[in-house]
Amino acid sequence: MNTPVKTILQAFRENLPPAALSLPIDLKVTTEIELSLMDFPSSKHESWKYTRLRRVSNLKLVNNILQPLDWSIYTMVKDAYTLVFQNATCIYQSPVLPDGVSIKIGGEINSADWVVSTNEGHAAKLNVAHAQNGCLINIEKGIQVDKPLQLIFISDGSQQANFWRNQLQIERGANAKIHVGYFSNQASDAYSNAYWGISLKENSHLEMTKIQNDTDLNFHFSTEHVGQLKDSNFTLNTLTLNGAFVRNDVLINVEGENCESHLVGAYIMKDAQHVDNHTTVNHIAPNCNSFELYKGVIDGNATAVFNGKVFVRPNAQKINAFQSNANVLLSDTATVNSKPELEIYADDVKCSHGSTTGQLDPEAIFYLRSRGISEEEARQMVVAAFMQDVLTKVASVELRHFIYQQLVSRFNWQLPEIAV
Amino acid sequence: MITIKDLHVNIDGKPILKGLSIQVKEGEVHAIMGPNGSGKSTLASVLAGREEYEVISGEIDFNGTDLLSLSIEERAREGLFLAFQYPIEIPGVSNVNFLRAAINEIREHKGEKPISAKEFMALVREKSALVELDSKLASRSVNEGFSGGEKKRNEIFQMAMLNPVLSILDETDSGLDIDALRIVAKGVNELKTAKNATIIITHYQRLLDYIVPDFVHVLFDGRIVKTAGKELALELEEKGYDWLKENPIN
Repeated sequence: MNTPVKTILQAFRENLPPAALSLPIDLKVTTEIELSLMDFPSSKHESWKYTRLRRVSNLKLVNNILQPLDWSIYTMVKDAYTLVFQNATCIYQSPVLPDGVSIKIGGEINSADWVVSTNEGHAAKLNVAHAQNGCLINIEKGIQVDKPLQLIFISDGSQQANFWRNQLQIERGANAKIHVGYFSNQASDAYSNAYWGISLKENSHLEMTKIQNDTDLNFHFSTEHVGQLKDSNFTLNTLTLNGAFVRNDVLINVEGENCESHLVGAYIMKDAQHVDNHTTVNHIAPNCNSFELYKGVIDGNATAVFNGKVFVRPNAQKINAFQSNANVLLSDTATVNSKPELEIYADDVKCSHGSTTGQLDPEAIFYLRSRGISEEEARQMVVAAFMQDVLTKVASVELRHFIYQQLVSRFNWQLPEIAV
Repeated sequence: MITIKDLHVNIDGKPILKGLSIQVKEGEVHAIMGPNGSGKSTLASVLAGREEYEVISGEIDFNGTDLLSLSIEERAREGLFLAFQYPIEIPGVSNVNFLRAAINEIREHKGEKPISAKEFMALVREKSALVELDSKLASRSVNEGFSGGEKKRNEIFQMAMLNPVLSILDETDSGLDIDALRIVAKGVNELKTAKNATIIITHYQRLLDYIVPDFVHVLFDGRIVKTAGKELALELEEKGYDWLKENPIN
C-alpha cells in the first residue's frame, strides 16, 4: 500500500489553525471532506484559466502576535457605525448602534445563526475550515439605517493568514449602506480570505462598497454570495486599488421578481499586480434588471482578469441584463483577459454584453500637451476620465474622496479641484 | 518671433515640406494659403510638435530657442498655440479643469504663482463672452457633443485663456458658417497686440475678409512659392491655384 501523497492544499493548510467561529456542523464536515479530496485549482479549471495559484500555494503562513495599531488611517468615512478587525481580533466597535441594527462578533455567534453560508470554490471552503473571526449583521424589518456601516479589515504582519467570515441580512423593507475596506499593515507574503453571505429580503435595499487597498505583497480572496428576494435592490461596488493578488468571486441569485442588481467594478493596477474579478448573476425569477460595469486601467506588468457570467433561467422572462467590461492598457507588458458570458434559457429577454480593451487615445494626449500640460499629467487626466463613470457610481461623496486620496498617493492622480 | 529656415519634413519617408522658409515678426499676421496637399497642415503639426512627422533638415528659431528641440508641452509653455483643424472630443476631461492646469503649467514655467480660483473664473467669464461661448459649454467635457462651430470657438476660447505669443490657426475657417466665422475672427482680432503674432493657415480667402493679414504666402508642393501683401489673397481667390501647377516656381 502506498502512503498517500500530501496535496499542495494540505501542505498549505498545515500551519493554519482550525475555525474559531462556531459554524453549522454539516457545513464543516462536508467542507472537510471536500477539501481532503481536492487540491488548489489549476489553470485547467475553467474559472482559474488565467489566474495561477502557485504564488499563493507557496506562501508559508503564520499567526503574528498582535501589535498595537493606529487603525484610524484606514477610516474611509467619519460618520459611520464602525467595526475594525486586526487579524483575528475585533479591536474596535462603535459603542452605540441604532435601533433595529444588531451585530454579533466572533464568540457571540452561534452555529445556527449562519443562515446564508455556502462553500463554493476552494477559497470559500478554506474560509469555512479556518474562519477566525467575523461578524453577523442583521438589519430588522423596515429599518432605514441613518449612517453607513463601516467595516475595516486589516491584515497585519508578514506571512499573516486571515480568514474572516461574515453574514449580512437585510430584512423586509430595510435599507442600508455598508462600506467594507481591506487593508494591510506590513503584510508581506500575507494572505487574507473574506467571505460574505448576504441576504436581501422583500423590498430591501443594500449598497455595499468594497475597497481593496492592501499592500503590494498581500494576497487577497474575497467572496460574496448574495440572495435577492422580490422587489429588492442590491448594489456592489468593488474598487481594487492595490494588492499583489486579488481574486473576487461574486455570485448573485436573483430569486424574486422585480429586483435590481448593480455590479460596478474599478481596478487600477501597476507593477506586477494580478486582479481577477469573477461574477455570476443568476436570474431565476422574471421581471428583473441587472446592470454590470467593470472598468480597469492596467500598467506595468500587471494582469487583469474579468469573467462575468449572466444566466437567465427558463422561467426568468422579461429580464433586462446589461454587462460590460472595458480596459485600458498603459504599457506593452500589461495584460487583460476578459470574458463576458451570457447563458439564456428564456425567450423574452433583453440582454447585452461587451468587452473592450484599448490604449489611451494618442490624439487626446497630444491635444492636452499642446496646451502646456505635461505628458504624464495628460495621461493621468485621460485615465481619470476613463474611470470617472465607475468611480462616481460610489454614491457617498466622502467615500469617493477617500478613494481619490488613495489614487493620489498611489498613482499621482490630481484631485479634480473645481467643478464649475 | 519665429524664423523657419529651409525646413524639410517627411511622413512615412515621403517628403512633404521641401525647403520651407518663412519669418514672422511681433505684431504681424501671416496667412499661408495653398491647395490641398501642399503641406499646410504638416507645417502646423510640425510647429506644434506632432511626433509622427520626421524633420529631415532645417531650423526653427522661436524667440531665440530652437523650437525643434522642445517637447510639445514646452512649446506651449513658451507661448506657442495651435488651433486645431479638427478639435478632438475628450469625454470626462473638463474643459475648464484642464485649462486651469494648463494655465498653471505655463505660469510655473514663467516663474509665476498659480492662478486663484476667483481670478480663473473671472477669466473664464470674460474670455467665453469674447467668443460667445456659453460658459456652461466651457465647463463641460472638452468638445464633447459640441457642434463644429462650437468646437472652433472653443479653440479660440482656449487661445484667449492661454494668451500665447504665437498662434497658429489651422483651417479654423473650414466648415464654419458666416456667423461663426465672424465670431472667431472677432476673437482673433481682439486678442491681437503689438507683442504677439498669428499665422493663419487656410484654403480659402474668406477668413481674410475678417482678419486682415500683413503678408500672404502661397505654399505649393512643400515650398513657399510666392509672398505678397493682402491683395495676393484676392488674386488667389480669383485665379484659383491652377496657375501654380502650370508654372510651379514663378
